[in-house]
Amino acid sequence: MVNGEGRASHFALRLWLSASVFLVIASLCVILGYIFIQGGNELSLSFLTDMPQGFPLGVEGGIRPAIVGSFWFTAIACAFASFLALPTAIFLAFYAGSARTVSLCHFFIHSMAGIPSIILGLFGYAFFVITLGFGVSVLSGGLILGIMIFPFIEVRVEKTLSEFPEDIVQASISLGITKRWTLVHLVLPECIDDIAAAIVLGGSFAMGATAPILFTGAVLFAPSPHSFLSPAMALPYHLYILVGQGISISKAYGTSLVLVILLLILNIVPLIIKMYRKER
Amino acid sequence: MLPILEISELAVAFNDKKILKNIGVNFYPRQITAIIGPSGCGKSTFLKSLNRLVEDEQGVALSGRISLDGEDIFTLSPEEVRHRIGMVFQSPTPFPLSIYNNMAYPLRYYGYGAKRKRKDVDALILDKLKAVGLFEEVKDDLSMNATLLSGGQQQRLCIARALTVEPEILLLDEPCSSLDVKNTQNIEAMLSILCRQYSIIIVTHNLFQARRISHRTIFMLDGEIIEAGPTKELFEKPSDSRTAEYISGIYG
Repeated sequence: MVNGEGRASHFALRLWLSASVFLVIASLCVILGYIFIQGGNELSLSFLTDMPQGFPLGVEGGIRPAIVGSFWFTAIACAFASFLALPTAIFLAFYAGSARTVSLCHFFIHSMAGIPSIILGLFGYAFFVITLGFGVSVLSGGLILGIMIFPFIEVRVEKTLSEFPEDIVQASISLGITKRWTLVHLVLPECIDDIAAAIVLGGSFAMGATAPILFTGAVLFAPSPHSFLSPAMALPYHLYILVGQGISISKAYGTSLVLVILLLILNIVPLIIKMYRKER
Repeated sequence: MLPILEISELAVAFNDKKILKNIGVNFYPRQITAIIGPSGCGKSTFLKSLNRLVEDEQGVALSGRISLDGEDIFTLSPEEVRHRIGMVFQSPTPFPLSIYNNMAYPLRYYGYGAKRKRKDVDALILDKLKAVGLFEEVKDDLSMNATLLSGGQQQRLCIARALTVEPEILLLDEPCSSLDVKNTQNIEAMLSILCRQYSIIIVTHNLFQARRISHRTIFMLDGEIIEAGPTKELFEKPSDSRTAEYISGIYG
């Protein structure tokens, strides 16, 4: 079947495919490896638990408030985004009815995903910080990060729910059971691991983002936040300052390493949930 | 004998395309009624109209009267209708739960767990598993995931699950079409026993099956009922030439 030309193009295709896969994996390894090697010396318990010190601030000491601050931003973002994304996904997957409503909603959600993050940040400044008067705070920053990751979570949750077999839902409804009860007792428990994975991955997206919190919540220096209305440090913003102001390249590598490790952990969580579910 | 289900002037259309036209027929209690006809004649839509499932679909328009024990089903809630008229689908639909939880799921909805003791719930589940002849096969591992059962076992589980809520009528939409001969025999034998307690309406492609198990048969063509009557009569002395042609295998 395969003639000479076919074999050559087949080979080229194979080469392109495997080279791409190799390049992607290799670049990930190089980036991570480089950060691990460069940041490794900085990494210590005191780096994780101390306040930034020295002059300019950050030359010495640790990054504890930035770690704690990043967790605040991420947690608020996940809570707010899930609060909106779960009902939206359930509505679109099970209640929207007409295909026109669904595609209209998809258009808006996809457009939302395309908003540049700096514009989200400026909107957050105007709306949450000024208009609603939340000030520069973990709340303002977390909410705007939540808006940023909403499409990310919604799309994944809706996909999971839409893939739940329609005939299983019909079988439940045919027992005289309401759709609502079916969703709560059959569909959602079955999809809960994928939903959790979507939220956690959304969280890792939020944790790494700088632009949305630039004007809304992140500051040069602050102690760990003690309320929703405190401003806070955040890992990506701290990194930006360390490098941008030329404060300390070696501390910057240390900070990158911490951020990368946290993101890796967040990305592994869904896999662990999946494995745990499979064993059951 | 009084009919359990009376249908008159039933018409169903999807986006102005007429699927069922002027359907009028009665179903009788504790009998098996088979609905036969070529693909696309509206058999499945007819069945789904009876438990109001068809109303959930997009662009559907339905008119006519269906009464269950003399009560208009459109004055009842869809949930109550489906509680009283159970349904089993063409391909088995086990929930991705254990065998036990597949059976307990509808019972939990109806609050049996709270009202009755666990022991009674278990007894009911065992009773229904026995009724479909599945108990002996699965009794050692009721905690096994139901999706791991064979196709025939899954289908019998779905029938047992439909029976847990004690429906008056059981609708079956080609329940044997994805099963082999042995499993088909199992299900036919089981239906012949179940019809002492429940009224059964079965859509089937298989004329022999209709002939073997049903008391009455309805022949449908292009969304209309051509002929309905006792199975023996309909197969031996069909009064309409189209029925005669269909049962002799000329179309479908």
